[in-house]
Amino acid sequence: MLQKNVQKNDAQQSGVPKNTDNAKDSDPSSGTDPVPVSARRKWLALLLQDRFACAAALILLAVALCAVLGPLLIGDLATRQNLRDPNREPFSLDHGWAFVLGSDSLGRPVAARLITAAGTTLSVAVPAVLCSLVVGSVWGMWAGYHGGWRENVSLRIADVILSFPSLLLAVVVLYVFSPSAANIVLVLAVARIPVYLRTARAESAELRSRLFMDAARTFGTSSWATIRRHVAPTVLPTLLTVAALDFCFVMLTESSLSFLGIGIQPPDVSWGLMVAQGRQELQSAWWIAVFPGLAIVITTVSATVLAAWARLSTDPGQRWRHGLRRGGRRLGRRRPAAGGTGAGRRPAVEPHLAVAGTEVASDPTVSGTEVAPDPTVSGTEIEPATVAAETGSETTTAVAGTDTETTTAVAGTSAETTTAPAGTETEPTPLAGTGSELPPPLAGTDIDPAQAPAGAGAEPATALAGTIAEPTPSLAGTGIEPAPADSPTRADTLAVDGLSVDIRTAAGPVPVVRGVSFAVRSGETLALLGESGCGKSMTAHAVAGLLDPAAEVVGGQARLDGDDLLALGARARRRLAGPGLSIVFQDALSALNPVHTVGAQLAEPFRIHERMSRRAARARAVELMERVGIPEARSRANAYPHQFSGGMRQRLLIAMAVALQPKVLLADEPTTALDVTVQAQIMDLLRELRSEQQMALVLITHDLGLVAEHADRVAVMYAGTVVETGPVAEVFGKPNHPYTRGLLESVPAEQRKGSRLNSIPGSPPDPRSMPSGCAFRMRCPMARELCATHRPTLAGTGTDRAAACHFGKELADA
Amino acid sequence: MFTMLRRRAVSSVIPLLVVVLGVFFLARLTGDPANLYLPLSATPEMREEFAARNGLDQPLITQFGDYLVQVAHLDFGESLRTAQSASDAVLRAFPATLQLAGWTMLLAIVGAVVIGSLAAYRPNSATDRVASFLSSTAASVPDFWFAIMGVLIFAVTLSWLPTSGTNGAAAWVLPVATLLIRPFGVLVQVVRGAMVSALSAPYVKVARSKGARESRVVFGHALRNAAAPALTVAGDLAVGLVNGAVVVETIFGWPGIGKLMIDSVLQRDFAVLQAAVLLTALVIFALNILVDICHAILDPRVRQRAAA
Repeated sequence: MLQKNVQKNDAQQSGVPKNTDNAKDSDPSSGTDPVPVSARRKWLALLLQDRFACAAALILLAVALCAVLGPLLIGDLATRQNLRDPNREPFSLDHGWAFVLGSDSLGRPVAARLITAAGTTLSVAVPAVLCSLVVGSVWGMWAGYHGGWRENVSLRIADVILSFPSLLLAVVVLYVFSPSAANIVLVLAVARIPVYLRTARAESAELRSRLFMDAARTFGTSSWATIRRHVAPTVLPTLLTVAALDFCFVMLTESSLSFLGIGIQPPDVSWGLMVAQGRQELQSAWWIAVFPGLAIVITTVSATVLAAWARLSTDPGQRWRHGLRRGGRRLGRRRPAAGGTGAGRRPAVEPHLAVAGTEVASDPTVSGTEVAPDPTVSGTEIEPATVAAETGSETTTAVAGTDTETTTAVAGTSAETTTAPAGTETEPTPLAGTGSELPPPLAGTDIDPAQAPAGAGAEPATALAGTIAEPTPSLAGTGIEPAPADSPTRADTLAVDGLSVDIRTAAGPVPVVRGVSFAVRSGETLALLGESGCGKSMTAHAVAGLLDPAAEVVGGQARLDGDDLLALGARARRRLAGPGLSIVFQDALSALNPVHTVGAQLAEPFRIHERMSRRAARARAVELMERVGIPEARSRANAYPHQFSGGMRQRLLIAMAVALQPKVLLADEPTTALDVTVQAQIMDLLRELRSEQQMALVLITHDLGLVAEHADRVAVMYAGTVVETGPVAEVFGKPNHPYTRGLLESVPAEQRKGSRLNSIPGSPPDPRSMPSGCAFRMRCPMARELCATHRPTLAGTGTDRAAACHFGKELADA
Repeated sequence: MFTMLRRRAVSSVIPLLVVVLGVFFLARLTGDPANLYLPLSATPEMREEFAARNGLDQPLITQFGDYLVQVAHLDFGESLRTAQSASDAVLRAFPATLQLAGWTMLLAIVGAVVIGSLAAYRPNSATDRVASFLSSTAASVPDFWFAIMGVLIFAVTLSWLPTSGTNGAAAWVLPVATLLIRPFGVLVQVVRGAMVSALSAPYVKVARSKGARESRVVFGHALRNAAAPALTVAGDLAVGLVNGAVVVETIFGWPGIGKLMIDSVLQRDFAVLQAAVLLTALVIFALNILVDICHAILDPRVRQRAAA
C-alpha cells in the first residue's frame, strides 16, 4: 500500500509523460502549465528562422490590428455613399488614402471597406473556430479516453454532421434562423466540431493503449484529471494545427455564404459580400471584386503557412527538415576528400587497405591456421571462435573446459572442423533459454550483453579472453608464418577507406561518421561493433548508398572489388545493388513492403537484374523461400508480410538480400528485434549462406556475444570512428583500447562470478559537440593531458591489429 | 470483404435517416410556402386549400410519416414550383453535377499524385517549396472569387471562354477549374506528406538496395503505401465538392444539383430539396463504400481486418 502511494506520487510528479517515440509531449507550447520563458524564446527563434512563417505571422497580425483598430481609424467611411463619384479608379491618392484602391458603384472607398470587413470576418471566424475547438476536442478526448459506446456514438454523430455538405447545412439553417453574424458563428461551429472530435479521439485513443495511461487508471485518478494531465498536453499541438487550418475553412465558408447572399448582410461589410457586389460591375470596375478576393487569399494563405510551420515545429520527426539546405543529395557527387578526412586520417597500419588488388593475405594469425575459406572446400563452416580455438591445440580444451554449459556449440563445431575438415557441416544448435539466466543489461552502456545468443555467445567471448591471454606468444609464433597457397587469391572484397558522413542540421553539418576504414573478404565475417548512435548503421547505409537525404557522404571511399561505390553514377550503382552488395535490415516488419506479397518482393531482384519473366522469377522466389527455411513456401509466397512471424520475416528479408548471391552482405543488426532462440537460428542461417555463397559478411551489431561467436574480425566503433580493429579472438582476448576493454569488462563472466560487474561510466559524446582530442577521454580511466590535446589515430598495435589510443601500446604490453 | 460492406451499410443507415429527418424538419421551418406561391391577396380559404392539397395542414409528425411511406414507394412528391415529379427534377439535374465532379476529381487525383510525388521526392528542394506554396495557395483561394476572376480574364477581357452554359468543351474549362482548385491544393499536400513518410520508410531503402529504378521505387513501392491517407482525404474532398457545386453552378448557370438545391431552398420547394438531399446523401454513402473498397484493394491488412 505504501509502495503504491509512492508510485502514485511519482506518477503525478512526472506530469507530462515522456515517451521517446512521440516527443510531441516535450512541446513546450502544449500543456496547461505556463510556458517557460526560455521555451517561448525558442519558439520565437524558430519562427524567425523561417521567413515564410514570419511574413505570415506579420500579415495575420496586421489583419487583426485592422479588425481591432479599424472602427477607431475610419469611422463610418466604409458605408458613407458618394453617388456623384462612383467607380473611381484605384492607385491614386488624389482623394485621400481611403480611395487608394478605388471606390465602388456607390462611391464608397474600397480600401476603407476592406479594413472594416476584416473586423467582420475575424469576428465570425475566431469565435466559430474557438467554439468548435473547445467543444470538439473535449468531446473527442473524452470519447477516445473511454472508448466503447461513448466512442461509437460520438463517431456516429460526427459522421452524420460530416456526411452533410456544410455549405448546404449553413444555407438551410441560415434560412431558418435569419442570417446574422451570431447564427453564422453557431452553424459554422457546429459544422466543424466533428473535425476536432475525430482528431482528438484518434490521438487520445492511441494514448489509451499506452502504459502510463494504464498506470494512471490503476491509481484511480479520475478520468477528467487523467485527460487534463496526460491526454490534453499530448493532443493539443495537433489540435491547434488543425484549428489554424480550420480557420481558413471557416473564413472561406463565411465569405461563400456572404457571396451567396445568406451570410453577412448589408450594411455590414464582408469580403465575400464585397466580391458579390463587385461581380455586378465586373466589366466596368474590376477592382471592386479583385481586392477583397486578394484579401481573403492573403489571409488564408498566411494562416495555412503558419499552420504548416507549427506542424513542422511540433512534430519532432519533421523538425530536421528545418535545417535542410536547398537542393538534394546526389549519389556520386561529393566534396573531394580533403587531406584531413581522406588519406590523412587513414590509419597508419591497416594492412587490408594498403593494396587493394594484389594483396598477400596480411592476416596471418587467422589465415595461417584457417582451413576452410579455400574456395574448393565450399560448404565447410569455420567459426571465428573455432579458428581461435584451433590456433593452439591446448586452447580448444580450455574453451570446452571453462564453460561447459554454454560453449557446447562452440566446442562442438571446433571438434567437428578439426576432425572432419572437408565437406560436411554440422550446425551448432543454439541453447534455448540460456538468455534468461543472465543478469539484466547494464546501465551506462547500450551494449547489451544479455542479448541472445549472448547466453551462448558472451560467455565464450570472455572464456576465450581468459584462455587466449596466456598462449599469446605461441599465437604470435604461428601467426608469423606466411599464409600458404590460397593467399594470392584473397583480396579484399569490400574496402572502406576514410569514410566520413555528415548530417546537415540548422546549426551546420554534424559529423557522425569520421574517417572510418575497414575491409572484409569473401567468406569472412567482419563485425562492426558499437553502441547505438556510434555511427555503425550510418556507415553501412553510406556504403550501400541508402543514406537519408539529410545525411551526406563527405569523404572517403568504399571499394567493391576495386570500384569506388561512392563515386559511381546512379545507374552503375543500381547495377551493383543486389549482385554486388546487399543489405539486411534490422526491423523486418518495416523493411518488407506491407502492400505487396512476399513472393512478389522476393521475385523483384530477379525481375530487375536478370529480367526474368514474372513466372520464372516467382519460381526462384519460392526456391529462395524454401532455402531459408520457410515451410509451405509455394502457398506462403502469396501471403503478405504481416501474416508472418518475426523470425520468418527476417528469413524473408535475408532471402531477398542473398537472392543474387551478393559479394558483400551488410547485416544491420539482423537479430536485434528477435527473441533468443530465433536470433540463433537467424545467425546460423546467415552463416550457412555466407559459406555457401562465399560472401563477405559485415555484421553490424551491439552484441558482444554475436561478435564472439560469429565474426572473424571486429572493428569497434566509438563516436563515429573505429577505435580498435583486429581478429576477434585477439581483440577480445587482449583489447588494446580502453573502450574495448570497458565493453568486455561489462560482460558478466563465469570466472569473475561474485565480483562486481563493471560498466563504463558516463555516456557517449554528443556528435554536435565533440570533445577535443580523444572522443573517449571523458569516460576513459587512462585519460591524460595528451588525450585532451591530440586526437589519436588508428595505429598498429600488433600484427594485423590497430587501436586509436595514445596508450594502446601500454595497454597491450600491460 | 462482404462482411465489411454489410457492416458499413448497416452503420450508415442511421446517419442517412438523421439527414433525411433533419432536412425535413429544417425545411419546414424556413417558412410557409403559401406566402411564396399564392398571391398576397389570397384568402384564408385559398391558403387552407393550398395547404391541404400539398399535405401541409397535417401535424409535422404525420407529414413525416407520410413522407417516409412515400419514399419507401420511391415517390418523392411533386415540385411546388413546376408541379413535376421531384425525382424527375433531381435525376435530370444530377448527371450534370456528376460529370462535373467526376472530371474534377479525376484531374485533381492525377495531378496531385504527380506533383505531390515530385515534391516529396526531394523534400525542401526548390520543386518542393514551389509545389507546397502553390498548393497551399490553391487550397486557400475562395472558389467564387476564382470563378469571377476566371470570368473577368478569360471571358470578359480575352473572350476565350463563355461565361456560362454547358455547350462545348470550352464551357467546361472554368467550372471544372473552379471546382478543381481546392481539392487539388489539399490533395497535393496530402500526397506530398504521405509520400515523404513512405519514401523514408525502410522498405523503400530495401527496394533501392535491390537495385530498383527510382520510378519503380516511387510508384511501385512508396505510392501504394501513401495512397491510403490520400484516398481518405480524396473521399472527404469529393463530399465537399457538393459545397463547391453550389457556388460553381450558381455562378456559371450550370443546371446541376447544387443550383437545384439552392433554388429549392429559396423557393421553399420542399419535395425537390428533400429528394436532392436524399440523393446526395446516398451518393456520399456510395462514395464512402467505394473508398472502403479501394482501401481494401490497396492494403492487404485492411482486407484481413475486414474479413475478421
